[in-house]
Amino acid sequence: MADHNPDSDSTPRTLLRRVLDTADPRTPRRPRSARAGARRALLETASPRKLSGQTRTIARGRSHGARSVGRSAHIQASGHLEEQTPRTLLKNILLTAPESSILMPESVVKPVPAPQAVQPSRQESSCGSLELQLPELEPPTTLAPGLLAPGRRKQRLRLSVFQQGVDQGLSLSQEPQGNADASSLTRSLNLTFATPLQPQSVQRPGLARRPPARRAVDVGAFLRDLRDTSLAPPNIVLEDTQPFSQPMVGSPNVYHSLPCTPHTGAEDAEQAAGRKTQSSGPGLQKNSPGKPAQFLAGEAEEVNAFALGFLSTSSGVSGEDEVEPLHDGVEEAEKKMEEEGVSVSEMEATGAQGPSRVEEAEGHTEVTEAEGSQGTAEADGPGASSGDEDASGRAASPESASSTPESLQARRHHQFLEPAPAPGAAVLSSEPAEPLLVRHPPRPRTTGPRPRQDPHKAGLSHYVKLFSFYAKMPMERKALEMVEKCLDKYFQHLCDGLEVFAAHAGRKTVKPEDLELLMRRQGLVTDQVSLHVLVERHLPLEYRQLLIPCAYSGNSVFPAQ
Amino acid sequence: MALSTIVSQRKQIKRKAPRGFLKRVFKRKKPQLRLEKSGDLLVHLNCLLFVHRLAEESRTNACASKCRVINKEHVLAAAKKSRG
Repeated sequence: MADHNPDSDSTPRTLLRRVLDTADPRTPRRPRSARAGARRALLETASPRKLSGQTRTIARGRSHGARSVGRSAHIQASGHLEEQTPRTLLKNILLTAPESSILMPESVVKPVPAPQAVQPSRQESSCGSLELQLPELEPPTTLAPGLLAPGRRKQRLRLSVFQQGVDQGLSLSQEPQGNADASSLTRSLNLTFATPLQPQSVQRPGLARRPPARRAVDVGAFLRDLRDTSLAPPNIVLEDTQPFSQPMVGSPNVYHSLPCTPHTGAEDAEQAAGRKTQSSGPGLQKNSPGKPAQFLAGEAEEVNAFALGFLSTSSGVSGEDEVEPLHDGVEEAEKKMEEEGVSVSEMEATGAQGPSRVEEAEGHTEVTEAEGSQGTAEADGPGASSGDEDASGRAASPESASSTPESLQARRHHQFLEPAPAPGAAVLSSEPAEPLLVRHPPRPRTTGPRPRQDPHKAGLSHYVKLFSFYAKMPMERKALEMVEKCLDKYFQHLCDGLEVFAAHAGRKTVKPEDLELLMRRQGLVTDQVSLHVLVERHLPLEYRQLLIPCAYSGNSVFPAQ
Repeated sequence: MALSTIVSQRKQIKRKAPRGFLKRVFKRKKPQLRLEKSGDLLVHLNCLLFVHRLAEESRTNACASKCRVINKEHVLAAAKKSRG
C-alpha cells in the first residue's frame, strides 16, 4: 500500500515502541521495506499485530487488503523480522520453547488476518492459553520450532503431527479442548499439536477415518442368525425357498443356487443341512457323511475364500469336486453349492451382494423349476456334472443358463459366473457341454450355411452406406443395389489397373506408388492436389499416421521410407 | 411398386476402413499379386472418393429430374458418366 511507506510506518512502529520500549529501531527493516513497500508495510503491520492486539487493531485498519494478499509471504518474512520484538516479548512471557511460542502466535495471527472482529482480549487470552498449553504441547511443538510461520508449513506440520498423533489423538484431544477456550484457533492449534485427530477430521473430513462398523455388525448378525435359525426345524426353512425343498430338482439348480443364495445365510445352512439329510435319504448315504464334514470344513475355507474372492473359493471347491467322482455328483454338487451358497450368503452379508443374489435366487428358482419340468434325471445328470465342474467351470452354467428360455436368469448367471474363473473349465467344459446339448436338443440353430457372397456383400454394404450418406437424399432400394453393382465393377477395374501398373514397374507387389498413379489417372490427384492432401482430407487420423511419413523424436520417421 | 421402399438416410457413419474385406477382394481377384501394407488404405481412400463422386453425380441427376428420391436411373447415369 502506497500509504505504508517507511515513513508512514511511524504510526504502528511508534505504537510498538510505546508499548514495548524494547524493540530496536526498525532501521534494518526500513531499507527492506523500501524495496517492497507494501510488503514491508504489511510486515510491519504484522509485527505489531503479533505483539499486541492494540497494534493489531491499528494494523488491521491499515493494511486490511494488503494483508490478505501477501499473508504467507510476509508472515515468513515477518517471522524473521519480528524476532526482535515479539520474540523478546514472548520469551519474557513464556520462557518455554521460543520457536514454539512464535509459532503459536503466528498461527493465531495468521488465521485472523483481516477480520476486524478479532478482539485484543482474545489475543491476550490466547497468549494466556498459549502459556497454558505450551508446556503441554512442548513435545509436539518441538517439531514446529524451526518452521517459524509459513502458514503452509504449519499446516503441513499439523498434518504430520496429526498423523503421528493419531493414536494419541482422541484421548489427548479431549483435554486440550477443555483448555482452549480462548479462540477456536488456539483450540485447533492445541489440538493439532497434541491430538490432531479430531479437529483435523472436523476441519478436513477427508482425513477422518471411517470405522467399518457396518460390516462387522452384518457379519455378526448373520452369524447369529445362522446359529439361531439352525436350531429351527428344517421344515420352516425348507418351506421358505422352493428349490431347496425339492431335492431332485434342486440338483441342477445347485450350480444356479451357487450364485443365487437364498435370502438369509441361515436358510442356506438349513437347506444344506436338510439337503444332506434328504440326499442321504435317497441313497447316496456314502457321500453324505463324508460330504458334510468336507463341506463344513470347506465352508470355513470358503467363507474365508469368498472374502478374498470367488476365484479362490471356486478353485478350492473345484479341487474338491474334481476329486470326487462325477456320478456321485448330484448330492455332492448340491451340498457344495449349498455350502458355497452359505459361504456366499455370508460373504454377501459382508459384501452387500444380497439383493443381487436374492434376485438371482429367484430367477434361479424359476430356472430350476423349468429345468425340473424338462426332466429331473436328465437335469440331474448334467446338473451334477455341471455342478461339480461348475464351481470351476462356470462356462457350463452360462451355457445352460443361456439355453434356458428365461433370458434374465441366463444373464444373471452370466454376470455372476463370469467373474469366477474356471481353473478346470477347459477340461470340464467339454463334459458339461455335451449333457447340455443333450438336455436342450431343440436349441435354435439360427446360423445356417453362410452364402459365399455374404462377406462380400457385407463389405460392399459399408460403401453403400457411405453412398447414401454422401448423397444426403433418400434413396430407393433398387438404387442401392445399383450402387452395389457399380462398386463391384469399380473394384474389378481397380484391381486390373493396379496389376497393369505393378507389371509396368516390373513388380509383383502393388505399392502405394501404383495407387497414386491410379488416382492421378482418375483425376483425383493433380499437381495442385497431392495424394497426401487427399489422405488428410478424407481419412481419419489413424490412417493418416500410417500413410503419411512423419518425423518423430529420436530422428525417426514413421512410416519408414 | 409405385412406392418402392425408401432407405432412410444415415446420420452417423463409420469411418473405419474394411481392411480385411479389401485385402480379401484383392486376393480373390488377383491372387498372383500382393498388396503392400498400407496399400489397402489407399484403396479405401480411392473407394471413398469414387463413392463420393458417384453420390454427388446421382444427387445432381435426381435434382435435375426434380425427384426427391434418388432412383436407379440416376445412379446408372452417374456411373456411366464417370466411367463410360
